[in-house]
Amino acid sequence: MAGKLQVSIDLNVCVGNAMCPHLAGKTFDLDDNRQGHVIDPNADTRENVMEAAEACPVSAITVVDTESGEQLFP
Amino acid sequence: MVTAINDDMFSGAAIEDPYAYYGQIRSEDPVHWNEKYNLWVLTRYEDVVWCTRHNELFSSAVFKNDHRDPYPQIDESDMGLYDDVRKFFASWFIQHDRPVHMDMRRVLHGYFTPKAMEQWRPMVKSVIKDLLDEADEQGEMDIMRDFATPLPLFVIAQMMGMPYEDRKFIRVLAEKLLFIGRGDIGRMKPLHDGIYELIDYLSPVVEERIKHPEDDFISVLADGERRGIYTREQVVSNAILLLLAGHETTINLICNGSLAFMQHPDQWRLLKEDQGDVVPPLINRATEECLRFDPPVKSIQRIAVEDVELGGKLIRKNDRVRWFISGANRDPEQFENPNTFDINRWPNAHVGFGSGIHHCLGATLARLEGQEAFKALAERYDTLNLKTKQFDYQPSITFRSLKALPVSLN
Repeated sequence: MAGKLQVSIDLNVCVGNAMCPHLAGKTFDLDDNRQGHVIDPNADTRENVMEAAEACPVSAITVVDTESGEQLFP
Repeated sequence: MVTAINDDMFSGAAIEDPYAYYGQIRSEDPVHWNEKYNLWVLTRYEDVVWCTRHNELFSSAVFKNDHRDPYPQIDESDMGLYDDVRKFFASWFIQHDRPVHMDMRRVLHGYFTPKAMEQWRPMVKSVIKDLLDEADEQGEMDIMRDFATPLPLFVIAQMMGMPYEDRKFIRVLAEKLLFIGRGDIGRMKPLHDGIYELIDYLSPVVEERIKHPEDDFISVLADGERRGIYTREQVVSNAILLLLAGHETTINLICNGSLAFMQHPDQWRLLKEDQGDVVPPLINRATEECLRFDPPVKSIQRIAVEDVELGGKLIRKNDRVRWFISGANRDPEQFENPNTFDINRWPNAHVGFGSGIHHCLGATLARLEGQEAFKALAERYDTLNLKTKQFDYQPSITFRSLKALPVSLN
């Protein structure tokens, strides 16, 4: 069974496009700078989190499977 | 206090060197009321980022909601044309606010993700090779005419599923739409012509893609109609938006970036000598620096939704607000040595693509084309020699666009 996810956002790259809270609203919201912020990497389905990562126009989101250590995205 | 700021953004000096012009405004009056054109001019990086991220305060529905006369003024007899032009631009998804904006953008967003755009890299490389092979036969080229223009045009025509033979025709029509950012008093006529000629050209294509969808972005928009998000008119008008935004901007990235390299031979040498040992790769950093240093888009406009206090000034509800990427990208409070073209600069959080919910949809594609274009030039040529010391820019406050860039090739 797949492990839990570790999700991080590179704030040097994040432009606040705000697709991620729209696609995985339990995992992502916006911080005070209106940049992406991870609330809980495992709150949404894995599919939704991956969709949000793929949808990020600047690939600011990194997703890692904690069990295998494999980087799932980018 | 404020010294004599010349509010004519269309003046020769402001067009020739927007960095000096907006730099002066940024240091003297960063939230500046432009008396001549009745709008706020924002030039500080921090303010531009704050405003783009607070989209609920600054509406993008400018053409719909700004009922003032166009600026600079046009002929009274052209006001009818302006009405049509306004309606057309108002139908663009970029001219919408949340929540409608999200629905409209989402239809297209998946087409333009980094992963999806990466598939175009081999094709882009191949087009670049063909264009430069042709230029090599001449021993010289006008980078604007022979490289920077045809490359993005070819790519966007492919993305629209348009026949190769039509791309020059498409460009001629699309060029008329560039009058939107210019100051010519007679600009409504070519603008109006361009819009209706493109509508005539694309409408049958849209009809066909509704019936027989393919994998181009017109079919994606047509699917948006099927899902009730776009009207037929909006499918056609947004196809035109993607056509225009998808090439004019990239044309200027390639041309302006090439000029930056030619004017900074030390940076050109660094790129040529790249061993590929930095992360992110030097070519990526260099492309970002081109976007920061001489951005293709100069400014973006909004309308204040309510009174907003900014930088000690009061922006009133319905005031026009125009922010200048040309100013923000050279802000010393954000960038060390902002007027230095430094391809190693990293991080490089420029606002060449804007920020926030309206961040450029085509950014990945533009980056890809820019990276491959600059890489190819650096690999092929020992030097690119400028054949002119005179640089003429289109008199636009929207685009930073050279009229020509003749070089001889070594």
